[in-house]
Amino acid sequence: MSQTEQVVYVVDDDEAVRKSIYYLLTAKGYPVREFASGEDFLASAALQRCGCVVLDLRLGGMSGLQVFDALRASGSPLVTVFLSGHGDISLAVDATKKGAYGWLEKPCKDSLLRDTIALAMREAEGAYKAYSLKAEQRKLWQTLTPREQQVAWQIRTGAPNKRIAQVLSIDVRTVETHRAKVYYKLGLSNTTELDHLMRDVEIPPLDELAGH
Amino acid sequence: MSSPYLRWISWLILAAAVGSLVFLIGQRVGEREAQTQRDAMRRAAEVNTLAVRSVVEKYKHLPFTVAQHPDVARALEAPADGQARDRANRYLQGINQRAESNVLYLLNRQGLTINASNWDRPDSFVGKDYSVRPYFTQALQGETGLFYGVGKDTGEPGLFLAAPVRQGAHVMGVVAVKVSLAEIDATWKDAGTPTLLSDSFGIVFLGNAPPFGDLGLGKDRSYVLKRTLTPEQNQWLQDHYVYGRKQLLKAAPWQEAPTSESPALEGTYLVRDSQGNQHTFLAMDQAVFAETDPFKALGWTLTVMVDYAPVIRERNNAWLSACLGTGLLLMLALYWRARERRYREIQQDRQELERRVAERTSELGQANAFRKAMEDSLLVGMRARDLDGRIIYVNPAHAQITGYTAQELMGQLPPYPYWHPDDVERHWNKSDAALRGQAALSGWESRLLHKNGHEVHTMVYTAPLIDAAGHHSGWMSSVVDITQQKKSEALQRQQLEQLQHAQRLAGMGEMASIIGHELNQPLEAMGNFASAAQDFAEQNRTDMLYSSLGEIRQQIQRAAAILKRIKTIGKRQTPGPAPMQLNSVAENVLNWLAPQIHHSQVRVETRFEAGLKPVQADAVLIEQVVLNLVINAMQAMREVPAERRLLVIETSQEGQHVCLRVRDHGPGVPDDMASRIFEPFYTTKAEGLGLGLNICRTIVEGHRGSLTVRNSDSSGAIFSLQLEITP
Repeated sequence: MSQTEQVVYVVDDDEAVRKSIYYLLTAKGYPVREFASGEDFLASAALQRCGCVVLDLRLGGMSGLQVFDALRASGSPLVTVFLSGHGDISLAVDATKKGAYGWLEKPCKDSLLRDTIALAMREAEGAYKAYSLKAEQRKLWQTLTPREQQVAWQIRTGAPNKRIAQVLSIDVRTVETHRAKVYYKLGLSNTTELDHLMRDVEIPPLDELAGH
Repeated sequence: MSSPYLRWISWLILAAAVGSLVFLIGQRVGEREAQTQRDAMRRAAEVNTLAVRSVVEKYKHLPFTVAQHPDVARALEAPADGQARDRANRYLQGINQRAESNVLYLLNRQGLTINASNWDRPDSFVGKDYSVRPYFTQALQGETGLFYGVGKDTGEPGLFLAAPVRQGAHVMGVVAVKVSLAEIDATWKDAGTPTLLSDSFGIVFLGNAPPFGDLGLGKDRSYVLKRTLTPEQNQWLQDHYVYGRKQLLKAAPWQEAPTSESPALEGTYLVRDSQGNQHTFLAMDQAVFAETDPFKALGWTLTVMVDYAPVIRERNNAWLSACLGTGLLLMLALYWRARERRYREIQQDRQELERRVAERTSELGQANAFRKAMEDSLLVGMRARDLDGRIIYVNPAHAQITGYTAQELMGQLPPYPYWHPDDVERHWNKSDAALRGQAALSGWESRLLHKNGHEVHTMVYTAPLIDAAGHHSGWMSSVVDITQQKKSEALQRQQLEQLQHAQRLAGMGEMASIIGHELNQPLEAMGNFASAAQDFAEQNRTDMLYSSLGEIRQQIQRAAAILKRIKTIGKRQTPGPAPMQLNSVAENVLNWLAPQIHHSQVRVETRFEAGLKPVQADAVLIEQVVLNLVINAMQAMREVPAERRLLVIETSQEGQHVCLRVRDHGPGVPDDMASRIFEPFYTTKAEGLGLGLNICRTIVEGHRGSLTVRNSDSSGAIFSLQLEITP
């Protein structure tokens, strides 16, 4: 299974629903894996993959929303489609606001499910690309020495070299060297690109590092 | 002043008046009688006076006439002349004879009789001296001599009249005539009533008074004195030999009564027998001679008496009559008064009686009217029967209820026409029991057939009928029409059933929602499987195709099972009250709701007390109640995080009750809603009818139980259902 191979996870405690979705999507050619509970899914599924999760909101044990939150926390690039009952639409809407791709009200037509999954898969590709890029950038960031990281934080604030030298109590020339290395190592050419990268890969704040 | 005193006064006045009247009547009658007597006396007196006077008148002029005669004068002139004397004697004798006088005689101036008509008789007056006689002295003085007296020598009484014999102015002698009044006396004797002649001295010298016995007048010169004489008078009488030489004057055998006793009649007086006979006479004095009469000097008085007894008798009779009359009147009055009083009393009694009768009648009438109004206004039918069951009375309400009038039912014996034909046997039993005095106090429900054919449901209560004398005379039944009540009960039951049905429908709506949700799953699954099957067929993946179809079949079975459950729930009939176990009811409900409970992510904790006593209740209805409570509890916890959704159902036995508590861990019931939560159409749910808890309470109360709610100390509401243990 390659890194980019797509997968569909189905998490539903109703066996019939779960199984039928499995059949449906299998028939469409998706590689499908099914789970009877959120706990099972989080424990045994590969989460850092390209694909989507069909997640029932009401589950015995962990609820759908809890599973979704856990997924988000793990930085999984999986796209989530909720299955909701008649009374849970508001929950589904909230979940969508939090970043879920969408929701399907049970009972849903098989065509709608199919179409939604197809769209979610396309979304999942993009998401996975962004996830992969970010992972690459984070790797690049990790190649920076701590001093370089410190300098990078200062550069991001838009401070001139002199000032950075004063803050870090180092020589201006040294600052210049570090700045050049940062740009080089991260493959960037200006401060704006650095800012975007740091924001995208969610570089931990400076003082956190300073604590080390 | 008190009235008795007044009455006495008036009685006294009346008595005095009546007494006076009686007295006056007596007096008046006596007076009238006396008047009659007096008039008779007066007539008698007149007649007798006339008789006396006629005698006197007859002889009045005789002496004068005789005195004129020459022979008389001659005899006086020549006393010695024998011839003259004889002539005179013969003359006198002749006159005397013709005049029918007693004696006619001539006296000389010395009072010596020289000639007399009885000269030739042995008792001749000649030679007798009458000089002391008043008539002589009167005549000697030239006047007419008048005297009544007893003969000085003869002793015979008589009236003496004398006239002077004159020769010129010289009186030579006196001519006297003696007239006897014996003739008059004889006529008076026959009269029978006292007739008396008395002189100016009051000496009765003539007449008689038979009631007083023989007065003996003139005999032995005895006379009667009407009044006592003075000594001078007596002397004078003796001197003049008026009543003889040896006069014998006796007191009258009568006495004049005091004037006060005399009747008020002029000229009369009363005389009473002084000898003890107590005879009373009415007397009258009449002067014999008028004032102008020359004989007045005689002073004669005629006294007439009549027996006063008749007057007294009349008066007494009158008094008696008056008294009797008065008494009679009084008695009549008393009788009348008594009669009046009696009559009045009777009248009063009658009036009182009438009044009391009227009162009583009015009371009775009022009581009757009251009773009648009461009976007429009564909606309860009243029927009285005698001991044999014969109807003796029915009130209008009874007629209203049965349609049979009192006239139609009166005297009827069972079976009565209004007995329902389907219940005749029952009616017989109850009727017989009632007549035996075994009617149930609580009454019995009797179905009747109204005359117009419609059914009437009644309650009949029977009690003994006790008459005024305290005898048990029959049976009184009250008949209460409960048709309407029955109808409304039925209606109420129907309404309750409808309500319960509605509730069940509402509950079924919820159930349908739950089950529908449940049904969604297989449907959705089937859609998916079908779609997959289609794809597999296109891809010629037969194994997967079969597998899909197999799944579809499974889902169809699952859906069918769900539908079957819905059907059974909808079809459930209320079996009616029967002993049931609260624990099993709660278990049933939890079994039904298991999918929903699971789906709602609610944990259920049951704490059923083992060996609960059964309760008499409709299990289906109670299940409905518990179902409602559990659904409510689940709904109450919808907003609560799933891990805190705990529902506790516990049962317990508390005294004579079994209890079931459903506790949720939701927000609880707001205080202001706790009182309204059981009201109909009260709801907090958008899709609820608001009938759930209201019907629950109605059902529970219908089972004589209670359904209450309170908030738990920690969180959530606790609904408590209490039912009475079947005794």
